[in-house]
Amino acid sequence: MRRLRLVGIVFGFSAFLLFFIAGLGQAQDTIKIGFFAPITGPAAADGMSAKHAVELGLKEVNDAGGIKGKKVELITYDDRLNPQEAVAIANKLLERDKVVGVVSGSYSGPTRVTAPIFQKAGMPMVAGYAVHPDVTWDPTQKKPNDFIFRNGYLGEVEGAAAAEFAVKNLKAKKISIISMDNDFGRAISAGFAARAEKLGSAILTKQMYKFPGEKDFRPFLTRIKEGNPDLIFAAGYYNEGASIVRQAKELGITAQILGEEGFDSPKFLEIAGPAAEGVIIATNLDRDDPRPVVQNFLSNYRKAYNEDADMVGASSYDAFMILVNAIAKVGTDPKAIQKALLETKDYNGLTGMISRFIQGEVVKPVQIQVVKGGKFRRLAVIDNPEVITPPTKQ
Amino acid sequence: MLLQQLANGIAMGSVYALVSLGLTMVYGILRILHVAHAGVYTLGAYIGLFSFRLVGDFWVSLLIGMAGSAVAGYLIERFLYSPLLHLPRIAPLIVSIGLFIALEEAFRIVAGPHTLTYNARIGIGDLSIGSFRLTETQILILFVTFAALIFLWAFLTKTRTGLAMRACAQDAETASSFGVNVKAIIAVNFLFGSAMAGAAGVLIGVYDNQVWPTMGAIPAYKALAIVVLGGLGNIPGTVLAAIGVGLAETFFIGILAIPFPRDAVAFIAMILVLMFKPYGLLGKA
Repeated sequence: MRRLRLVGIVFGFSAFLLFFIAGLGQAQDTIKIGFFAPITGPAAADGMSAKHAVELGLKEVNDAGGIKGKKVELITYDDRLNPQEAVAIANKLLERDKVVGVVSGSYSGPTRVTAPIFQKAGMPMVAGYAVHPDVTWDPTQKKPNDFIFRNGYLGEVEGAAAAEFAVKNLKAKKISIISMDNDFGRAISAGFAARAEKLGSAILTKQMYKFPGEKDFRPFLTRIKEGNPDLIFAAGYYNEGASIVRQAKELGITAQILGEEGFDSPKFLEIAGPAAEGVIIATNLDRDDPRPVVQNFLSNYRKAYNEDADMVGASSYDAFMILVNAIAKVGTDPKAIQKALLETKDYNGLTGMISRFIQGEVVKPVQIQVVKGGKFRRLAVIDNPEVITPPTKQ
Repeated sequence: MLLQQLANGIAMGSVYALVSLGLTMVYGILRILHVAHAGVYTLGAYIGLFSFRLVGDFWVSLLIGMAGSAVAGYLIERFLYSPLLHLPRIAPLIVSIGLFIALEEAFRIVAGPHTLTYNARIGIGDLSIGSFRLTETQILILFVTFAALIFLWAFLTKTRTGLAMRACAQDAETASSFGVNVKAIIAVNFLFGSAMAGAAGVLIGVYDNQVWPTMGAIPAYKALAIVVLGGLGNIPGTVLAAIGVGLAETFFIGILAIPFPRDAVAFIAMILVLMFKPYGLLGKA
């Protein structure tokens, strides 16, 4: 009996040891990249898009043999759009998962709270589409978070590009603005208004609505209708955007509606229905870009998930690939990865040709898309350097 | 523009009225703040939406949504509130809040976290005179609310059950000693109130073309403010308060262009009324 027990213990212990060694061996064989997105909660549609797109990228990298023969392993977390959750995730990625780099597939809220943590730890992070300035900037020290890079535009840049298109291409002279009252809405509408006024157009009204929560835009739109503008610049995410274009149509408003990347989702097209037709948006993905990197992504995404890719997915895919590309160049030392990212030059990204990063901010053209036949199609590309170069922060 | 804003405001106020009525009726008779009422409202929207997807006819889906909510309201009363009525009123209130949170999570798990669309054509058509537009869904909301109010009024004033209901609201014990079946009256009360909340859920689902798990969150507290504003348990006062809040919200945003969140309006009004007329707009001391 005693002997049997001893044998049991020895077996158990060796099994444990084997498991442990196997675990270690595995850890050495793969390159771990951290990833977080709002996979459940109020932004679940965007979180799933980001996750799907990054997993597609992961599959491509591993099918092509990984990075220098090593498989890439994605450590995925759900931040539920909750900054507290994101802080815990950042610490887990650093201490337990020992990743070599991080990709944010999340909004500004969760991303900006993780930025100082990764900055302090010297861990490079590429954010897919989070827009808040403090992702790449430390407001207390007044210096850039030089380990953090952003693949999406600053709100100001995207707003200015939208205004450039509204005034120069659409010849809009009288413009009304309706925007959600959060960081992104404020930044993008300020960028829009500044550029539009600089180009000589008049801003008739500028209204802010509560976010999240507003569903009834009729009082705002009735007021806009009174001024009879040529164009309405609307900022919001897909739920708000869809409600705005739908209710504007119901009220008989004929002015062109110009939205932004928050509208860039299949959910927008679904909720807005026929009212979406003809709506123009400034965004970070050109579906009609002939480059193979774009067309392959779009068709592979459709094949894998049976739905169309959106801006959020494409931007997260790009963020992941930018990081993978840097690791492929210099290996897994975080400091070297950061240096490689800083030296990025003319990178052929899914969401456009990235000329470089300035203080972590991407420099690339802004895409103007229009809804035609229930799909987003290319209308124009804004590449005026005066507009697309992010302002230097100090 | 004034006319248009008036239409926008009355439509919104009508939906508030439908939600708040059930709440005020429940308070009138049981003295319970029925927070889970907003969960019943969301349930109505989901039942309406899913039956619309099955049947394809809006009016049928509205009726099914109302019926489903009515049953849910009855079950809540029968199995959650009724056993707790001998306890201090804080006990059913806590149960109600817990139930509301549980319902929201249940909707998320069953129907998914995404916004679903309730893309129903009603078949009335828009009414447009010059630049003024009364949209199809606005006409629908006004019609349904008006019909519900007329029905409620006729029921309360012309039928014996209605009389018994009013008697119970004034003094349930005395009513009971006169042979009124108080339990049955409470059940009828919950059936009616919940059916109206269900109708409101369906109407908002169609009006905004969106149904989502937490759509009851704002109505949950706004309806409380409206009920207090109208004088707890006072039905005409609640209708007046609801329409008033809908109009005030619309006017603050659309005409005065004061950039404060619309959800504050009901509470500011509530505070003012409590300061100067503590029993509500039409309440009696």
